Amino acid sequence: MNWERIIVLIGKEWLELRRSRGLLLSMLLPPLLLPIFSLGLIFAMGLVSDPDTADIPAAAIDPALADLGLEALAQVIFGRQFATLFLLLPMVIPNVLASYSIVGEKNRRTLEPLLAAPISVGELLLGKVLAAIIPGIALTWLCALLFAVGMVVVVVDPVVPALVLHQGWIVMLLLASPLLALISVSLTVMISSRVNDPRSAQQIAGVLVVPVMLLFFGQILGLFVLNSLVALTFSAGLLLLAAILLWLATRLFQRETILTRWR
Amino acid sequence: MKHFTKSIRFIVDTPIIVTDQVMYAIECHRLGRQFDTLVAVADLDLAIPAGAIFGFLGPNGAGKTTTVRMLCALIAPSSGSARVAGYDVQSQAAHVRATVGILTETPGLYDSLTALENLIFFGRLYGLTADRAAERAAHYLRLFELWERRNDPVGGFSKGMRQKLAIARALLHDPTIVFLDEPTAGLDPAAARAVRHVIKTLRADGRTIFLTTHNLAEADELCDLIGVFRTRLISLDTPTNLRARLFGQSARIVLAGPAAPLVPLVQQLPFVSEVVAEERALLVRLTDPERNNPTLVRALVATGADICYLEPFTPSLEAVYLELLHDESAVAA
Repeated sequence: MNWERIIVLIGKEWLELRRSRGLLLSMLLPPLLLPIFSLGLIFAMGLVSDPDTADIPAAAIDPALADLGLEALAQVIFGRQFATLFLLLPMVIPNVLASYSIVGEKNRRTLEPLLAAPISVGELLLGKVLAAIIPGIALTWLCALLFAVGMVVVVVDPVVPALVLHQGWIVMLLLASPLLALISVSLTVMISSRVNDPRSAQQIAGVLVVPVMLLFFGQILGLFVLNSLVALTFSAGLLLLAAILLWLATRLFQRETILTRWR
Repeated sequence: MKHFTKSIRFIVDTPIIVTDQVMYAIECHRLGRQFDTLVAVADLDLAIPAGAIFGFLGPNGAGKTTTVRMLCALIAPSSGSARVAGYDVQSQAAHVRATVGILTETPGLYDSLTALENLIFFGRLYGLTADRAAERAAHYLRLFELWERRNDPVGGFSKGMRQKLAIARALLHDPTIVFLDEPTAGLDPAAARAVRHVIKTLRADGRTIFLTTHNLAEADELCDLIGVFRTRLISLDTPTNLRARLFGQSARIVLAGPAAPLVPLVQQLPFVSEVVAEERALLVRLTDPERNNPTLVRALVATGADICYLEPFTPSLEAVYLELLHDESAVAA
């Protein structure tokens, strides 16, 4: 593995990204809007005292929430849901980048000169994957940090941030985010072999939101609390899925397959 | 590169063989490639001497791109073997890719990157340091008269400029063998001439050029060797020998009067193998023009024919190419 070539490739990918305003906007907008909207709504929750909040299943199954006031309880419950949504970012951003990078190269017919260079397909795939994943994870963590700092400002009770930004969420951010990004990019590589439009690749890869939605609705329906154990179990499942998808993507991302079989 | 001791004599304008020691840049032995049931390339035997410009001609869908891809170690052959710059295309694929330069059918440049950024990126991929890549890029940008546009995004370049930039990319790492797929396709005459000049410069530098083209006049002008190909190699020779093999050596006699009445007389001459009459000219295929022409002229003058002038007749490469493909189709049928 020649890391110099991989770094050169990543540099080229990011340079192209910087020059494409549309792509840059579609990459930056969701992560920027998510903490702003989340914090705004959490702040609004703290202004309303609704007795029905205590009846929400998510409130009933977590004993740590028993002593909270109604405003703080609402902030914790909705804060946890919004915090889960941050797990969409490491899938959405790398998906957008990888689809433009791979399908875009295919459309512009720049893949053949690239494949003719003395770069191995492993290096090429790794370069593309890292170029898509690194900004995705970095932006996710940055936005999560903004969300965490903002929480301290908008909450009505100082215990709320600790209950929202709990260990399970941190494990998910640190462990599950990179895995979700890897899954997203692997799936995009596989889809790229069959489609000629980056948006098609993005839409098909949209199925990836399902696991995160399961977490989202599972919590709100009171099926589980996202503690460290749930986060680790979920991450282990993602690791297995990532390994399978990456293996399949590697099988499709072969010099000869790209030149003769990709449509 | 491997040395062979083989008696081969190519009659070309620029001698590429000084002795019987031949250095082959590209060698194929029964090279073949099949896609499912479709045979794209079959039993290709080639030996291209180092420093030659080889013209690879054939109709669309003949398997030329597949051949180039196999020789550049981009796809594997289904059968046979090939060595490029002395490296086996299958077991030493990475060496092959590092040694050759390729201009693909489409320029394949990054539109949002500038000309300089495109070249430096590829230079780095080919293992050049950042400084060396920039230095080589500057050299070729100046050579192709693109230096003034070096900081402009390639998306705004004309087709000719893109093509020149893609050729520069193929040469950046100083390859000994360069594959050029339709290098002048779609270029205006001035740009095409500039590209042809570059190709001649590359030969003068001692590089081997594998040129795929549909422009037969260009092939005629540039190539030392021509291979006519349709799934199989139909013919491989110098342009001069191809003409001689197919059309023999011919003379064109331009007359003051009608030519047709003279055909029976000329046909009777023992050294004439074929006569074709134009309105006021005769095309006569001869066994040895230098010896036969005086006799031919005397015979015509004796019958009262007024000869304006006599010139050697050289059929176009296009005529040779079409004849070869026609013969091959007839054999196949």
